[in-house]
Amino acid sequence: MAVGKTPHRVDAFDKVTGAAAYAADCVPDNALHAVVVFTNQPHARLVGVNFEETLDAPGVVAVVTAADVPVNEYGLTLFDQPVFIGLDDTGRSSVPCDVSRWEADHLAVVVAESLIQARKGASLIRSEWEVLSLVSDAVEAQSDEILVHPNSTSNTYHELRIRKGDIAEGLQSADVVIEGTYQLPHQEHAYLQVEAATAWVDEERRVTIETGGQWVHEDQEQIAHALDVAPEEVRVKYAAIGGAFGGKEDMSLQIVMAVTAKKLTNLGITRPVHCNWNREESIVGHHKRHRATVHARLGATADGIITAVEADVLLDAGAYNYTSNKVLGNLHLSVAGAYNVPNARIDSKAIYTHSVPGGAFRGFGGPQGTFVAESQMNKLASELGIDPLEIRRRNALTDLSDGITQAGLPLGVGVHRVLETCAERAPVDAPLIETLPFKSIASLPAATDQLRQGRGYAVGMKNVGFSFGFPEACEADVVFHGDIDAERPTRIELFHSAAEVGQGVHTALIQMVAEAADIDISNVDATYSDTATGGDSGSASASRLTFMAGNSVLGAVEEAEKSWADGARPALGHFRYKPPATEALDPDTGVGQPNFCYGYMAQALDLTVDIGTGHIRVDRVLSIHDVGKAIHPQMLRGQIEGAIAQAHGYALSEQLIVKDGRVLNPRLSQYLIPGIGDVPAKVECLILEGTDPLGPWGARGVSEMPYITYAPAVTAALHDATGVWMNTFPLTPSVVLEHLTAAKN
Amino acid sequence: MARTHITAVVNGDETEFLAEDGTSLLNALRDEVGLTGAKEGCGTGDCGSCSVMIDDKVTTSCLVFAPEANGATILTVEGLADSGQLHPLQQCFLEGAALQCGICTPGFLIAAKALLDKNPDPTETEIRYALAGNLCRCTGYDKIIRAVQEAAREMRGQ
Ligand code: FES
Ligand code: FES
Repeated sequence: MAVGKTPHRVDAFDKVTGAAAYAADCVPDNALHAVVVFTNQPHARLVGVNFEETLDAPGVVAVVTAADVPVNEYGLTLFDQPVFIGLDDTGRSSVPCDVSRWEADHLAVVVAESLIQARKGASLIRSEWEVLSLVSDAVEAQSDEILVHPNSTSNTYHELRIRKGDIAEGLQSADVVIEGTYQLPHQEHAYLQVEAATAWVDEERRVTIETGGQWVHEDQEQIAHALDVAPEEVRVKYAAIGGAFGGKEDMSLQIVMAVTAKKLTNLGITRPVHCNWNREESIVGHHKRHRATVHARLGATADGIITAVEADVLLDAGAYNYTSNKVLGNLHLSVAGAYNVPNARIDSKAIYTHSVPGGAFRGFGGPQGTFVAESQMNKLASELGIDPLEIRRRNALTDLSDGITQAGLPLGVGVHRVLETCAERAPVDAPLIETLPFKSIASLPAATDQLRQGRGYAVGMKNVGFSFGFPEACEADVVFHGDIDAERPTRIELFHSAAEVGQGVHTALIQMVAEAADIDISNVDATYSDTATGGDSGSASASRLTFMAGNSVLGAVEEAEKSWADGARPALGHFRYKPPATEALDPDTGVGQPNFCYGYMAQALDLTVDIGTGHIRVDRVLSIHDVGKAIHPQMLRGQIEGAIAQAHGYALSEQLIVKDGRVLNPRLSQYLIPGIGDVPAKVECLILEGTDPLGPWGARGVSEMPYITYAPAVTAALHDATGVWMNTFPLTPSVVLEHLTAAKN
Repeated sequence: MARTHITAVVNGDETEFLAEDGTSLLNALRDEVGLTGAKEGCGTGDCGSCSVMIDDKVTTSCLVFAPEANGATILTVEGLADSGQLHPLQQCFLEGAALQCGICTPGFLIAAKALLDKNPDPTETEIRYALAGNLCRCTGYDKIIRAVQEAAREMRGQ
């Protein structure tokens, strides 16, 4: 048996010895070096550009521009972004490309013998801009006075609606209505391996990119679109990946480096070319978790039964869509929480602004929506004087619920299970965890008279897999080796494209192959993440890979078993797993089945706050997860602990400053992700194993779930400690003090 | 551009390399010596992923000019294992899954080694202090702390 055990991670040996080669480590000896030049213009028209001095600079080999991109557009779900801003594009793109809409739009790639020479060459580009007026805020952008994309009629480019029951009646029949406006902040991924890539044209004349991303086949398709070639003429493979969290789902270096390799080949230069962003380029140059404003109303009877949910969501998409339309969908669903809501009106809008694009980030709209839903629920419980777990129990979704989209829920709804476990393990009347007094300033004694403790709860759900009718699928290939008269294979090879971003999927896949074929894991070899060898797995995102890749492996092993039984040696098995189809929501009512699987979670969180300084220490988090089946319990705990640490930064310290379309603090000294002394003192993971009716061995995904409930659990605990609600975060000491002072006055 | 000739003992071997002016020790180790175990997570001294030991002191090598290491003894993650035998810290990180993406791991291993060299029986608080200069975006740190405790126990022969 391999599933449910904790074998060593397959990548651990290389990672502890320094042998693991990440994209930044894969620099061939003869490589040229590239620098991507940003326009540095949040909104301006290019009127002139001159590369002569650059081309004359020592060591410079080539300058790559819009003229080198056959189809100068890209985008994961909409083609709305030029690969390069330029005056001399080929005219085959639907996106006007003489206007820069984001400070990190690309102007050129400069290629030189050394990085220093490439940087020097880049500094010699002479560009002339007509600076245009900006609209950098989603509320303002709604007026459409300044259009971010002049060829669309409005900055409000994607809208979703839910109309359920009778909202007027729902609010009227409520004994109490909770109303609030919530400001959700940006968040930077801050993976420790920044973007890096090496590109060349291989022996089979394929433009080849070695990098770290989340989905080799999507990278391949985006590159092929821009180069206007068949996907088979492009090869994408991943080196070891130093974190992603959604931040490597969209293109960064993939297309520009492919274009660069192609241009070099056309110039008769066959050397590989390498590019490695520095931290500042990474933070400025890729999308963020969206900031959003949500106005919400929650109506309920005196005994806490929900009668109505109303919400208006404004999502700041930034200058380009990335995956904003999809993130909006998730936010839209999650503002209703994990509860039965008989009457609802929800209007959600994604709005273009001249700001850093929002895109995928662990939770994908869920953290924003759940912050609103759970804050509203916690306020309701407090207003009515009902135990916050009890009030949730009265409203929790079940297998029989119709759900906010009125189409029923995939079976195996686990809200009650996580709630009951939470009530058992951390009931409201249980004493707060005892700890040493919190010293908000390490060198000073604790100000014990200023310390307040509190506990907060939050509950949530997050979809597993792609939603809203996206053609969701995952492929696997296996090869059984063994003698013709052998009863069982002695060795199995797996070919799979699942991206190992750190979550452990490569180890889990080996376990699942071994389990499915009843062979020892030491006899399973695998080749991963190379479009030349593996089928399309879909992305390492949406908590989907364990579920999707597990099912793909089960199918492939079954196919190989058949051909093995037929006497084939080696015996091949290929399988493309497709889960039940999902649907786009009805544009007027939001009716439809958006998802095929969800994970469920509850958190109880104890904290201490120093009301004199505003510092917070999280003393204990109990994180409860209905995971279906734990394939590798140790790695699963790692996902929970890691998600909590990131969510802790989101809730407490990570403050991205974006002003007039520019990120003002693009360094790890200014943008503070949690260190080892900042994270919760104690994290307890409680893993509940039901079985998901569709999951491989009953497993669901888990990577995003612990993230989603954390911020509202913090604000609830803070309210418990101080009596003050916070409708925004990160809760830096100054923000906390500001709220406490305002509440006092 | 001027290049400086540098001699240092790297992972036990007398090593000579050239570095251009202004090159950090990190880049010299990675590009000239071919040791890519130390990583650049920030280049500004904030993340610790470039940590190496210079003359027994843990140092962020992105903030050291390569010529400053002339004559020094340097230990990188590649020098931790002893002829194929993993260091107890490496073994405990591996067994305890104290890594996910692993990009921070070399830095943590070096910082933890520096701690255990001086303090074979650290408390959890002492471990947190010693590793406070190292960022990890994946693990939440708990498994890293457990791995260091476990390695310390093993090294004390318990
Ligand atoms: S790279 Fe040296 S501290 Fe981050
Ligand atoms: S394991 Fe990814 S940064 Fe630590």
